[in-house]
Amino acid sequence: MKPSSCPSAALCAALLLAPATVLGQDARQIMEEAQTRTRASSQHYEGTLQVFDARGKISDKRWTFDRLGSHGSSRSILRFTAPPEVKGVALLVVNHPDRASDQWMWTPAIQRDRRVALQDRSQRFFGTDFSFEDLEERDVDQYDYSMDGEESLNGAPCWRIVARPRKTKVSQYSQSRVWVRKDNYAYQQVESFVKSEVVRVLKYSDIQKVQGIWTGRTLEMTDLRRKSRTVLKLDELEYNRSMKDEDFTLQALRREQ
Amino acid sequence: MILLRLISWPYTRKHLARTILTTAGIVLGVGVFLGMHTANQSVLYALHETVDRVAGATELQVTAGESGFDEEVLERVQARPEVRVAVPVIEAVVDTALPGRGSIMILAVDMTGDRSLRDYALESGDEAVVDDPLVFLAQPDSLIVTREFAEQNHLQSDSPVPMRTMEGPKQFVVRGIMKPSGLAKAFGGNLAIMDVYAAQKVFGRGRKFDRIDLAVSEGFTIDQCRAALEKTLGTGYQVETPGSRGQQFDSVLRVYSVTMSITSLFALFVGMFIIYNSFAIAVTQRRAEIGILRALGATRRQIRALFLAESGVAGLVGSTLGLGFGFLLARATAGYVGQMLEGISGIAQRVDEVATDPKLMGLALGMGIVTSMVAAFIPARNAARVDPVQALQKGKYQVLSAGENRVRRLTAVAFAAASVICLLVNGGAVVFYAGFFLATLAALLLTPALALWLTRAMRPLLRWLWPVEGALAADSLIQAPRRTSATVSALMLSLAMTIGLGGVARASYESITEWMGTALNPDLFITASPTLTSRSFLFPAYLGPTIRQVDGVEDVQGVRTPRVRFRGTPVLLIAVEVEKWAARAGRRPVEGRADEMYRLAAEGKGAILSQNLASMKGLHAGDLIDIPTPAGPLTLPVVGILEDWSDQQGSIFIDRSVYRKWWNDDRVNTFRVYLRKGASLPAVRRTILERLGTNRRLFVLTNEEVRSYITGLTDQWLALSYSQIAVAVLVAVLGIMNTLTVSIMDRRRELGVLQAVGARRRQVRYTIWMEALGVGFVGVLLGLGLGAINLHYVLEMAHRDISGMLLPYRFPTNIALMMFPIILGAAFVAALWPAESAVRGSLVQALEYE
Repeated sequence: MKPSSCPSAALCAALLLAPATVLGQDARQIMEEAQTRTRASSQHYEGTLQVFDARGKISDKRWTFDRLGSHGSSRSILRFTAPPEVKGVALLVVNHPDRASDQWMWTPAIQRDRRVALQDRSQRFFGTDFSFEDLEERDVDQYDYSMDGEESLNGAPCWRIVARPRKTKVSQYSQSRVWVRKDNYAYQQVESFVKSEVVRVLKYSDIQKVQGIWTGRTLEMTDLRRKSRTVLKLDELEYNRSMKDEDFTLQALRREQ
Repeated sequence: MILLRLISWPYTRKHLARTILTTAGIVLGVGVFLGMHTANQSVLYALHETVDRVAGATELQVTAGESGFDEEVLERVQARPEVRVAVPVIEAVVDTALPGRGSIMILAVDMTGDRSLRDYALESGDEAVVDDPLVFLAQPDSLIVTREFAEQNHLQSDSPVPMRTMEGPKQFVVRGIMKPSGLAKAFGGNLAIMDVYAAQKVFGRGRKFDRIDLAVSEGFTIDQCRAALEKTLGTGYQVETPGSRGQQFDSVLRVYSVTMSITSLFALFVGMFIIYNSFAIAVTQRRAEIGILRALGATRRQIRALFLAESGVAGLVGSTLGLGFGFLLARATAGYVGQMLEGISGIAQRVDEVATDPKLMGLALGMGIVTSMVAAFIPARNAARVDPVQALQKGKYQVLSAGENRVRRLTAVAFAAASVICLLVNGGAVVFYAGFFLATLAALLLTPALALWLTRAMRPLLRWLWPVEGALAADSLIQAPRRTSATVSALMLSLAMTIGLGGVARASYESITEWMGTALNPDLFITASPTLTSRSFLFPAYLGPTIRQVDGVEDVQGVRTPRVRFRGTPVLLIAVEVEKWAARAGRRPVEGRADEMYRLAAEGKGAILSQNLASMKGLHAGDLIDIPTPAGPLTLPVVGILEDWSDQQGSIFIDRSVYRKWWNDDRVNTFRVYLRKGASLPAVRRTILERLGTNRRLFVLTNEEVRSYITGLTDQWLALSYSQIAVAVLVAVLGIMNTLTVSIMDRRRELGVLQAVGARRRQVRYTIWMEALGVGFVGVLLGLGLGAINLHYVLEMAHRDISGMLLPYRFPTNIALMMFPIILGAAFVAALWPAESAVRGSLVQALEYE
């Protein structure tokens, strides 16, 4: 019997090879797959934000988020809607696959936009534990990956992958450690490092399938240096909504909504 | 040491009052020296402190003079790989409407990036927090204030802070409180942080920043980063460390510092004469004692060392007390100096502490001791030369020998001739100052002879006024020239300096008044601050035509006056509509032709310099100058030089069109408004305020108010010359009391005999008083005479080395006339106690006195 025509041999080969194929899937492939599965032409949500500072003080804010495009070639506008003191403050992020994003902030009270300098991206975003850089969309081609092992997190088996930014990616972080769920390739957790110290931890929870895309509806970012955390809940989450290019420009940013 | 204990100490105790008076001369000199310099240093220290604290971790700062620069420069700076972080800054000093708080410094920054450079909060602290950074940025009325400011004004988070802005009075809100250290201590704790873009609106900055603060990337040095930025930005920008920027203030205070140095050194010099006088008298009085010591085997060296040691100790005690006096003086004047600096240059600073400098204290102490010992050198040398036999012969040394007189006069004439030669020869600074020194020395050498001659000339008048007392007084002075000449010399020098400074004051006053008459002739001035020198607030150019439309207004000229760095000096750039300005306020130039000068400047083909700037920089009409601008160096020929008092550092006049082109800035500091003939000034002023002042920070000053303000500033500055009068009066009192005290001691027997033969106490008193008045009168006459010569030198010094202004010779007659009653009054007061001590002693003891 020729091996190719022997069903048992083929089965054995398949059985033998299957785990090898899974194990052989390198870190980059996992990350590419994770990115592919979250690809959408647009995203919209209404976010509820709670910041818990080191003294236990809690501040609440709300914003709307719209993104056109996906990952490295996307544009997004984030607009605060509450409380009244901050309503209308907005951030426009234009992501590029091959270089750092461009970011502008709009302050309606003085009718001024201002560019967020590259050097300032490591600063906290308006008192939250996210930095300006954390609001950028990452593209898989901006990093180099290596497998760090496997681990279960919150009962979900995950791959643990180390991502190091390439030279073209200007980042405050020396590396990130990403937990990707094996069952749906959704992110479970991201630890961000400066040199060898973990400075921020981003946890995803309440992971749901929305329009075919597995998405963490609750994100919790903890700043280990400041001992504070920010919880962001994504409400009214919608993908592939119809959006126009001209709604993601500086002129649109200046238009108050 | 043993001689000090056994000989000097008993003498000192016996003549305690005179010792105190002697020491007072050093106290005065050291105190004035330390006080003036400490006040000066305190202001500078406060300025530097503020610059350093505000700078934080900033390693370099980019500026373009005071005009600021467009926002796009920030991106160019941030794009450099040598720059790790670069943040824009606007700094302004504003008035709060809080009761008693006065001005506050606003540091406006972009909080997204500024935290890398400045520390607003502790890592783990709970004292200093910006409550909500998003609210801070979203609300342009947000302020972060210091804990000190908050406590003093009972403020907490969400408390209102009223401030006067370009848009009129506004309420700001405290949204964060800084802990009391580091940045929070700048400007004496009167510091507040706000968003830089909000500040642009509030302070009328348009789309400009005042400066960029930056930190250098790892792997690059500060010099590398500076070189790269200078190449990128061009010569119109300055890239400096924060410390270098602080040094600009030193030049602004330079004129004041130099004047203070002259005044304080002079006070020390005069103190030296008082010491000399005292020791000369002491040597005369202790001749017998010296003779005995020499007879017992003391060497000349030991005698000299004894007197020098006495003077050293007196100097040490006087200097130590002088340090205390100096600090008190510094405390009193530091605030005044700070206010004056703000008024003259627009640089505001709170001086809450007096900066103690150990080096300056050591210098003052050393100078006091050295001055005392130098002053006592000649008397100590004379003491060493005392012949033991002659020492017992009283009165022998009171009269100057004919030989001594001749030598003095010949030397004086030689010195005087040399000083005249120095005047005629144009030999530069060394020759000039040598001539000044020689002229002063000549006057000092001639003083005994002149004092004697004047006293002899006065004798008939004194006899005529009071036949007995007048004659006695005159004779006492004539017979003891050594005793009186030192006091007269001290008084003469002090008054000569007073006349010198008074003459400069008078000439300055006249020149400023004349300048105001033509240069400041608009009917109204519209400014964004109540002082003409503050440049925190600016008007938009469109306001000019709006003002022009007000009924009664004939013409409006916008003037922009930023400070620019010209050849290392921060000078005032005055951008004005030259054609209009020349038509209304044109002045004759001191160099260049008026018609050509104004025409070329109006066409943008030249710059006009102020005389003081031209003088200090050695520039003349026709020279080419480079003015740094954000668009690159602007090269213009000097088309004329004007006498101008706009700024002590100097001014450059260019047409506003040139300024707009090269600085890309059409804002205005001041609008000069001319009214139509017959228009009502109060009505026009009211209309402007009603139409434009309700929603905008705007001050409408009349011509009279502006002149009054400038006159007030001038008075502040020239108050120094009046402080000299106080020094002169003190010198008079100290010197005359000293002289009279010794005179009375010496003539105790004589005065006793007078009373024994029937002279009444009143007559003895009158004699002493007349002596004092005689010394005072001679001192005043000689002082005025030397002052007339001194004035020429002081004017030349001011022109060469201090302010660059060429002032006319104006003898200050009013001050001179004032000196008579002041000094004679002081002399009279100085004579009161010696006169009483002359009549109160026991008659029997006086007759027995030997």
